Amino acid sequence: MNTNNTTTTITITYDDDIVRKFMIASIFWALVGLGAGVLIASQLNFWQANFNMEWLTFGRLRPLHTNAAIFAFVGNMMFAGVYYSSQRLLRVRMASDLLSKINFWGWQFIIVCAAITLPLGYSRGKEYAELIWPINILVAVIWLVFAANFFWTLAKRNEKSIYVGIWFYIATIVTITMLYVVNHLSIPTSFTHSYPIFGGVQDALVQWWYGHNAVAFFLTTPMLGIMYYFVPKAANRPVYSYRLSIIHFWSLVFIYIWAGPHHLLNTSLPEWLQTLGMLFSLMLWAPSWAGMLNGLLTLRGAWDKLLTDPVIKFFAAAVTFYGMATFEGPLLSIKSVNALSHYTDWTVGHVHSGTLGWNGFLAAGMFYWLAPRLWKTKLHSVAMANAHFWLGMVGILLYVASMWVSGITQGLMLNATTEGGTVLQYPNFLDTLQAIRPVMLFRAIGGGLYLAGYFMLAYNIWKTARSGTPVNGTVEITVEEENASEKRFSTFLNAPVIYSALIVFALCLTIFSNGALFIFGMFLTITFIIVAIAHFEFCKASWNDWYEKLLKHGFGFSVLTIIAAAIGGAVQIIPTVTMQRADNIEGRIQVPYTPLELAGRDIYVSEGCYNCHSQMIRTLVPEVMRYGDYSHLGEYVYDFPYQWGSKRTGPDLAREGGLRSDDWHYFHMLDPRSVSPGSNMPNYPWLFKKPIKVKQLPNKIHAMRMLGVPYPIDLSEEDIQAQIDEQAAGIVARLAEKGAFTDPDKEIVALIAYLQKLGTYELTSEKDEVATK
Amino acid sequence: MSTGEENNETLVKEEDLPEGIILREHVVDGIQEYDQRLPFWWLCILFGMITFSIIYWLVMDDRSYEGGNKASLEAKLEEVATARLANSIDVTNDKLFWEMASNPAFVSAGEAVYNTNCIACHGAELQGGIGFNLVDAEWVHGSKPSEVYVTISKGVLEKGMQAWEPLLGQKRVAEVVAFVLSKNPDLKPTE
Repeated sequence: MNTNNTTTTITITYDDDIVRKFMIASIFWALVGLGAGVLIASQLNFWQANFNMEWLTFGRLRPLHTNAAIFAFVGNMMFAGVYYSSQRLLRVRMASDLLSKINFWGWQFIIVCAAITLPLGYSRGKEYAELIWPINILVAVIWLVFAANFFWTLAKRNEKSIYVGIWFYIATIVTITMLYVVNHLSIPTSFTHSYPIFGGVQDALVQWWYGHNAVAFFLTTPMLGIMYYFVPKAANRPVYSYRLSIIHFWSLVFIYIWAGPHHLLNTSLPEWLQTLGMLFSLMLWAPSWAGMLNGLLTLRGAWDKLLTDPVIKFFAAAVTFYGMATFEGPLLSIKSVNALSHYTDWTVGHVHSGTLGWNGFLAAGMFYWLAPRLWKTKLHSVAMANAHFWLGMVGILLYVASMWVSGITQGLMLNATTEGGTVLQYPNFLDTLQAIRPVMLFRAIGGGLYLAGYFMLAYNIWKTARSGTPVNGTVEITVEEENASEKRFSTFLNAPVIYSALIVFALCLTIFSNGALFIFGMFLTITFIIVAIAHFEFCKASWNDWYEKLLKHGFGFSVLTIIAAAIGGAVQIIPTVTMQRADNIEGRIQVPYTPLELAGRDIYVSEGCYNCHSQMIRTLVPEVMRYGDYSHLGEYVYDFPYQWGSKRTGPDLAREGGLRSDDWHYFHMLDPRSVSPGSNMPNYPWLFKKPIKVKQLPNKIHAMRMLGVPYPIDLSEEDIQAQIDEQAAGIVARLAEKGAFTDPDKEIVALIAYLQKLGTYELTSEKDEVATK
Repeated sequence: MSTGEENNETLVKEEDLPEGIILREHVVDGIQEYDQRLPFWWLCILFGMITFSIIYWLVMDDRSYEGGNKASLEAKLEEVATARLANSIDVTNDKLFWEMASNPAFVSAGEAVYNTNCIACHGAELQGGIGFNLVDAEWVHGSKPSEVYVTISKGVLEKGMQAWEPLLGQKRVAEVVAFVLSKNPDLKPTE
């Protein structure tokens, strides 16, 4: 440290206008997103609520609901919280008002684009990543604008030491950038359509690396940052434990990334990845609870306010729901629990206890705290805010409890066998659907109550804003100009970082090796952990000094965060993507889709069928009994995107091909209840009117060929048309025999062609099998 | 200071602290931080889960990198197949099916299975629809009970009739045969 310091006093005016904008946007989109949720929840009970209109079917609105809730409601709330707290924690106004404004208006434009394209059926077919490629690029650009603005502000800060809330914002920004870009890599085939560059199991793995960590780094880390600012502020109490913050942050950032494969347990995903996914999910329990502890124990001493202050009520409930959801998560990641829970409503309930309970309540608490400060007035009605709390609470509890009952009931019924375990007790899938209908109704009611609470919030905040005047916070600070000349190298070359690197190296050795090397790796891992702990106990003070220094070094901190967050993904994805396809097909290889079938598949993706139907028969006895032979990796190599699904409102379709007649599918799509009495699937009358988009097929097939699908290189447009005509004519003739009439150029023909192709594979020859070994 | 953001906040002072609790000196925007010890039970969860994971990885896991090794599932499926065979009935015995068709318990069990699984294509009165009419004395795939059994259990894939035996099991298929026969008394050979 240099002693050559000078001090000056300056007054800073924070940019709170941008916070007000984001807050209002968040409340508006909350009503839209929650409203869409209540509508689609009702559709599950009353198929009539699909209104026989293509723009309003469950398959298209469910992506709208998830995207609106995650990116519009929570996204805007996150920006509001980050912009408000970062300026104050860094003691500086945002670096650029222009970038802030671009961030705000760009983000709203993206949301409007999403709200238009998703109901129109433009979709990439991957959960929470449905938006089409031009919007993807826009999202990436706006996100980078936000990142630039944030890091610029960080660089200009007047508070040298970075507070824990800011750590979480840094993790959010760098990790979301990485996740979003990798999972959205695509080859465009037109302005509105693209194929992801990963297919089959690779796409599944990348998707859930993204999907799981969108929850981690979009719905969790920024919320924790917000918690670390607003909870001590509202409670007027010190944060419980600084050292817990440190362990909490680094373990969460490092471990979260590894847990993605727990969304693919018992599937044909290679065993080592499934095991890693499960174990890292279990190890995530303690780091998550560290966040809950730091939140709840900060409130300790302010419990008296719990009775009167709605803000404290919301915060206490939000943190408690965070604790509940992060206990339930590891529980659901245990393979044997997952065998029951996966594809059922239990997962849906789990997600909603996180989003409604943790994010939604934290948002409400933050809004009620911010509104009087942003408009320099009193909250319009504390009583109404309290009423919102209780209405929301009853809503969530109804929701989550019915999803537990529903998920466990359906899971047990689907897996139940009889006659000494030789046959299924409920062979008809619809029997299990009828059993959960009453609880599904309660879910819709619970969601409705929660939505009503948010309407009260909107009204309350509106009245509060009207009664006050917008003010921007100001603060007077003294700036010390340090001429510090520190060795930047010491950020990277010091004991904690070196130990971490050694432990990760040893861990990789145990993951990727067998025999002696495996035992050696295990020995190294345990040794390094013990030595690190011993070393730490021995010289705590110097480690602490190093960390204090790191906190003054924003760049070094960010780099270490990126590395910690990148390791898990790299270890899991790189081997899976680079591995020769032939090594990993389990003796079977998918038969490529004909042009007509490909067109049908794109309709399947566009209608969002994956929201209710899986295409993955898990390696479980009841699954094999119900749907046929378990799925093998090779059966998916030409699937761009993969369509394994994550929820079965209807049955699995992996081996649907050839199971039923063409006319069965025809009548089923026209009116599902005519052949499946009691089904809750929407009618799809427009499939019988809209023509197949043949013109796009040459481009699509060209893109597929680039991705490695063996279409003949000399396939001309005329050839494609001829193949389509021939296959369509066959289907139309077969339909006509049974009194089902359609023109050969309608979408229904392509969809039937695709459905009848599902599960078609060839055995690889003996010779090839030997060659791969 | 125009809005005086920190005016209504009071700071916790060092001397008010209970013994053993550390309060960090650094205050940012009025937020203070304790530096309390990590709760023991929390450390137990943390290290317990790490230890469990290491042991699991070491002992339980087959760590297969290429998939395809589903030996334990295959073994379980083998067991199910064995149990099915052990309980199998003679499905070529037409007489046995007719006995079932005159047994009210079998017929009503068959009706229940029919109503859940067959009614959509063959109709409530067995009058047909997407599937064939089952009471019109025309039997495309054979009218002997053993032939009806084969049609249901193995299906007729090219006509869109799925194989029901894997899903329903032999007993329930036999019950459905009994139910269908009971609606077609004319098929019964005269003795």
